[in-house]
Amino acid sequence: MGAFVEQLAQTLAAGLTVGCMYGLLCVGLAFIFGIMRVINFAQGDLMMVGMYLSIFIGGSVLPAAIFGAGTPFVAALLAGPVLFCCGYLLNKYLISRTTGLRAAGDSEGDAHQTQLILTLGVALVLQNAALFLLGSAPVSAATRLSSAAWEIPLGYDEFSAVFLNQARTIDAGLAIAIALCLFAFVRYTRLGKSLRAAAINPEAALYMGIDVTRAHHVAFALGTAIAGVAGGLIVIYYPAQPFVGVEFIIVMYAGVVLGGMGSIVGAFWGGLVIGLVQQLSTVVLPLQLQNAAIFVVFVLILLLRPQGLFGRSVERA
Amino acid sequence: MLRIEGVSAAYGGLKALSDVTLTVEAGQFVAVVGPNGAGKTTLFKTISGTVTPVSGRIVFEGRDISALGPAERPHLGIAHVPEGRKVFGAMTVFENLEMGATTKAGQANWKANLERIYALFPVLAERRAQYAGTLSGGQQQMLAIGRGLASSPKLLMLDEPSMGLAPVVTDAIFERIQQLHREDGLTILLVEQRVAEAIEHCDYGYVLETGRVALSGTVQQLSTDDRVRQAYLGM
Amino acid sequence: MRASPTRPLLIIAGMILGWLALGFVVQNSYYRLLLTLVPIWATFGLSWNIFSGYSGMISFGHAAFFGVGAYGVTLLFVHFGITPWIGLPIATVLGGLTGAVIGYPTFRLRGSYFALAMLAYPLALVYLFDWLGFQEVTLPIDRTDPVWAMQFGDQRIYLAMALGLLAVALVVSLAIERSRFGMSLLAIKQNELAAEAVGVDTQWWKLRAIVVSGALAAAAGGLYAVILLVVTPQSVFGLVVSAQAMILPLFGGAGILWGPVIGAAILVPLSEVLTAELGDLVPGVRGMVYGAAIILVVLLAPEGIFWRLRDLGARRNPAPIEPNAPLPVAAPQRSPARSGTGPLLDVRGIGKTYGGLKAVQDVSFAVAEGEILGIIGPNGAGKTTLFNLLNGLVTPSAGEVWFDGKCITGLKPNRVCRAGIGRTFQVVRTFARMSVLENVVVGAYAAHDSEAAAWEGARAAVGRVGLGAAADRMAGSLTNKELRLLELARALAGRPRLILMDEPLAGLGAGETDEIIALTRALPAEGVTVIIIEHTMSAMVTTVDRFVVLDHGQLLAEGKPESVTRDPRVIEAYLGKKWAATYAAD
Repeated sequence: MGAFVEQLAQTLAAGLTVGCMYGLLCVGLAFIFGIMRVINFAQGDLMMVGMYLSIFIGGSVLPAAIFGAGTPFVAALLAGPVLFCCGYLLNKYLISRTTGLRAAGDSEGDAHQTQLILTLGVALVLQNAALFLLGSAPVSAATRLSSAAWEIPLGYDEFSAVFLNQARTIDAGLAIAIALCLFAFVRYTRLGKSLRAAAINPEAALYMGIDVTRAHHVAFALGTAIAGVAGGLIVIYYPAQPFVGVEFIIVMYAGVVLGGMGSIVGAFWGGLVIGLVQQLSTVVLPLQLQNAAIFVVFVLILLLRPQGLFGRSVERA
Repeated sequence: MLRIEGVSAAYGGLKALSDVTLTVEAGQFVAVVGPNGAGKTTLFKTISGTVTPVSGRIVFEGRDISALGPAERPHLGIAHVPEGRKVFGAMTVFENLEMGATTKAGQANWKANLERIYALFPVLAERRAQYAGTLSGGQQQMLAIGRGLASSPKLLMLDEPSMGLAPVVTDAIFERIQQLHREDGLTILLVEQRVAEAIEHCDYGYVLETGRVALSGTVQQLSTDDRVRQAYLGM
Repeated sequence: MRASPTRPLLIIAGMILGWLALGFVVQNSYYRLLLTLVPIWATFGLSWNIFSGYSGMISFGHAAFFGVGAYGVTLLFVHFGITPWIGLPIATVLGGLTGAVIGYPTFRLRGSYFALAMLAYPLALVYLFDWLGFQEVTLPIDRTDPVWAMQFGDQRIYLAMALGLLAVALVVSLAIERSRFGMSLLAIKQNELAAEAVGVDTQWWKLRAIVVSGALAAAAGGLYAVILLVVTPQSVFGLVVSAQAMILPLFGGAGILWGPVIGAAILVPLSEVLTAELGDLVPGVRGMVYGAAIILVVLLAPEGIFWRLRDLGARRNPAPIEPNAPLPVAAPQRSPARSGTGPLLDVRGIGKTYGGLKAVQDVSFAVAEGEILGIIGPNGAGKTTLFNLLNGLVTPSAGEVWFDGKCITGLKPNRVCRAGIGRTFQVVRTFARMSVLENVVVGAYAAHDSEAAAWEGARAAVGRVGLGAAADRMAGSLTNKELRLLELARALAGRPRLILMDEPLAGLGAGETDEIIALTRALPAEGVTVIIIEHTMSAMVTTVDRFVVLDHGQLLAEGKPESVTRDPRVIEAYLGKKWAATYAAD
């Protein structure tokens, strides 16, 4: 009995830490969708770019002496601004040609599909360019914290304990912090509010003098930056390789849809739930089927409750 | 202050305005009335910039603004209170007003404007933390007007403020608009379906029918002209 | 009927034979393999086109069908010893079944949600097959009876088989394109609601399309497995495979059978050759080619190369602008006679509530056969909602609609159309690249079972509205007035007894409205009763027999134009209470 509880507690802890990372990833995706109604297929690959970038920063740019074991974390945070710029330019010169106020599809659906297809193209280019430039060998940014763990005793006997991997726990903490920062930004700052206004009613926002086009660039850039930072944090315990984005993309979508598309708070919870489901399923399912389980959950959500837990109802046949 | 010269425009592929000419002098209260489909909202959209006219031009304070983008025009002093109010439902009343103050003039005069808005519409002060989407129609209309005022405009354009509102509420709204004109000397361009309310206090009125100016004149001239009714009902 | 299929069939035959000849000329075995793969991918692209290209429902997961076919043939051979000659047809059927199983629940989703769900299916199958232990399944070389195992030493036989499959796919696509199957799908792509309103059973056609699509894709997958002799989950269920299904038609031209062929002919050799030459230097070149192709196409030629070239060609030789000839009006067609007496349309206490908002409340009125009824009211009065209720696009919260003595409340729009109620919409959406006649025939399918009769009926309707001279002109070149006439023709082609016209005069200038008004006035004599919503009152007062006035979703007044336009309640609704009270003269 004790062993089962211990295993369950361990699984829950793992689920929560992984879930926080998924949550952050989902927040980035949901933010872009919430503000600009763009489904960014390349979000996972932007995360991949963030992974490699932060390895580079941590390895070659930051002097190891200053931050020591904390170098990868700082590197991840520094990757953010770089990816912000990349995202801004990407949206301004490429993606916005198919979205926003200039989108001239025959119907709303048309413009949507075109944008989805375009981001798929970007994803393919990113993945394969990475393969070419960086090789297919997985790399990670492990620190000594990656193999250190805090031991938290479970009260009921002197031997049972839950081990929290330090690197992952710090990651989770940072993820929560970043998500909170974004939430505060959108809630309380003038720029954040104008982004929300542009999302709620772009026409009215124009009448206020808000530059909706620029708002979209900023939103996309922020979403990209978050993906990049999340990547930098993830690569501490999960190795980077050019196609790693594909592995995470369904997780991201499942989390965002579960939380309700367009809801940032919902997205974080959605990611958290997906993380928990994934870890808990290891108890019952073999390894390969875990990911299949996520897909099944994803499809079930889409079919049974497409508005997710927090979203408003969605158009259906 | 504002001159629309020979503007023709299409909206959604359909011809909405044909060669419309209209003037608003500084400090005037001009009303534009006409039945549904006459092109009133399209007229506002061309002034705001969300619709580009096919021909003609729009001159504001002596400057041809036809080529300016829609997000730039509020910064010149044109405030557009849109049809159907279009408040930011998921934001609070206060935040909506904040959004109105995006312009430089709006930010400079924020405190003074806010006081004025609260004085005109006390209900907005009461409910400043309430989500705009949960307000009643009349309260939303007041918020939309407040939002327009928050930008410290030179010209306030109101698009069918009475739409969907009960007559009692409409009367209150129109009283406030009157007040703004009288006390603050604000230049007002009003578009309305309900004729009497619109032209009651205006300095000059235009009647639009199927995209053209069917007639224009002062209150006295229009109120005794049966052609106004005909413009709406066809016979 | 349309132009005979001889020309496209000849082109297909020529293409296939030319390709086969190429296979004989080329000696290098790698290039021969390449030549063989192009038709297979082209078939895959065609299968995607059949579903997503025509219907507009973008599927991101066609690899599911491809993989089912590949693994189907492989596992049947490896584990059950069934020859691929039988395995391929079985796999094809499996593909079709998969289409039905996936399609039926997923069709409830729209747009991006649909695309994402489709994405998930093959990716889930990757993991499933991994777990099932099928990470890499090889088809063993059978030395005793290679023909039985579909293993040929001579590469050219595979080429012939692939080309055979491509020929089948092309002919199937051609058949679909030219029949009501294709036209119905295109109508769905353009505007699903309008398609329903002219009688297209959207659910049925979408299901049929995905079944055919799945079957073809599976066939392509099966042949692919036989030729390559090895399948892994990633290589047949993976994201790149789904992407390839999409990219080929999108690049070459969606919604037309030549599109995937062009796409395959350009992109497959390009990526394969580049992989062969540069693969060591530049790993991942295939993905980059496809990715770059998508980006370029979306930016420069969003509908694909085929359409882009066609448009450029058309622009250089613009169609001559015909002078506004007087419209010859064809002999009127009598709609089938009615049964029974009583009003043609009887609306009883109909209402619709959205959340707390009563869009339409307790509206009752009757329309006699041969009448022209006008529905008017100030902005937001619920007129369009009322039409949607009559049409079946919206289900009433209360009340009933009786048509010709039968209750039609709650029927799906395409059923309502087949019962005899036609509808035109405010916003006219057409197949811009197809002729007027082709646009109208979609409406004719509701009234005619045979292709020939439908085209006849369409031609008659086109002539009836006066577009006879323009029947073969591209819809994209029509003026606003002509578009409205086309919309009317499409509704009339369904031989309705009652037609609901939603703002037919919107956006037309003074001179242009006359023809439409004249047509409207002539309809009752031909057995078509009319209900019309319009704002242009000056036109309405001389056209309608009676008005029904709505305000705030409720019936305000009813009667002849003379009385309604002077009714103080109506004046109040339109011009405001104060005007009615203070200024209304006499």
